[in-house]
Amino acid sequence: MFLSVGVRFEANVEALNMVETAGNYSKHRRVPYLVEEDGKLKTVYVPALSGESLAHAYQEHLVREALSLNLPVCDDCRRNEFYKSMNKVHLKKKVNPIPDDPKKIEVAIVQSCVIEDVGGFLYAEKPPVRRSSAFQVSYALPVKSVALFATSEPQLHARHAQMDSSSKKGNASEQMIYYVETGTALYGFTFNLDLNAIGVSAITSEPILNENEIKARREAALKALFRMLSSAQFGAKLSRFFPVGGITEVAVAVTEHPFVVTSPIYDDYIARTERRLKVLEGLGEKYLFTVATGEKVPEEALKEAMDYLKEQGAF
Amino acid sequence: MSEYEGIVKMLRFFVQTKNFSYVDRIGNALNPEPVEVTLHEALRAFRSIRESAFVEDNGRRYVEKDGKKIPVPGIPPEEEVKAFLDAVRSDIGVAKRVATLALAYPSKKESGGDE
Ligand SMILES: [Zn+2]
Repeated sequence: MFLSVGVRFEANVEALNMVETAGNYSKHRRVPYLVEEDGKLKTVYVPALSGESLAHAYQEHLVREALSLNLPVCDDCRRNEFYKSMNKVHLKKKVNPIPDDPKKIEVAIVQSCVIEDVGGFLYAEKPPVRRSSAFQVSYALPVKSVALFATSEPQLHARHAQMDSSSKKGNASEQMIYYVETGTALYGFTFNLDLNAIGVSAITSEPILNENEIKARREAALKALFRMLSSAQFGAKLSRFFPVGGITEVAVAVTEHPFVVTSPIYDDYIARTERRLKVLEGLGEKYLFTVATGEKVPEEALKEAMDYLKEQGAF
Repeated sequence: MSEYEGIVKMLRFFVQTKNFSYVDRIGNALNPEPVEVTLHEALRAFRSIRESAFVEDNGRRYVEKDGKKIPVPGIPPEEEVKAFLDAVRSDIGVAKRVATLALAYPSKKESGGDE
């Protein structure tokens, strides 16, 4: 089973993805964007959130959901430090001595950590072992039709330091001013989850775990997505720049084989996704498509998709 | 390209601090807009870094990165920036050449700081 979710969210004055600090200026991530204006294409720079940032948030939620279902999570991942068994030092914590066979290395990692099972890993030693992530996430980018209204603006803040005049050196002052660039936009992103990849070897395509364990891990993976979207706990600087706004729309497709919803950066993404699914249906693909716009809240659509997956025996 | 020396030195400073994003974006630009936006961002960041840099007794500025002292050059003058942006508008290749120079070793020892 394959799940694909298109999400639209409005975020005003957010600092969800900062890229660098230069002196007292911390910058929001920005990407070039092609937009059409009066029949002409032009490049504009718009605020964005990287897929890496969203993926990190998702995996943090996955840690919590996995632990609450009593599923294994390795010590590094428990601390939300996603080293992913990258070298001998980290792999030894899971299996010691380290086997020579890549298949055995994969089995050892997948068995001992749900995060690396679902989120993939790269063991960069000899022999190298790589596992692709079972979930995929796009950058969050402003919705095309309103991209020209997206902005990023530096906000001035001051930090205070207590110091008497004797300890005052050079141009240091009691008040340090700094700028945090904030973004405002209606964003869209896509999240995919390949439930068939969980607990299954990326090398042999054979199951590594028993069916019950695989089902429990799928449940954790779905709940983590639910929680991430429902709690809006993704991105950085939430403590003081929690975005003002929220999820405005979601579109969820569940299919037997990989299928990705049309990107929510296009205004007609729901209609297009539906048409694409209808074609697939004609080819014998069974699916569920549910959207939350207007009256329905995002949680209701996500719940519907989970109920359907449960009915289909996915977990 | 010596007419864009100030911009080259500024970009080279970012390269020395292992921040390749500006030089890459200017060097890879396919049309003038990204160059303009990137130069704006680079100048903004550069001013900020320069203001908080250490100032030596001789007035030269430097920042420390991985235990190394990296001199902070002067801010490129307005006329140079204007001339560069005009040149890029008529030939995007100018941006590529400036970025390439910034990645190369300087031909003579640069003193950095205020000059
Ligand atoms: Zn782990």
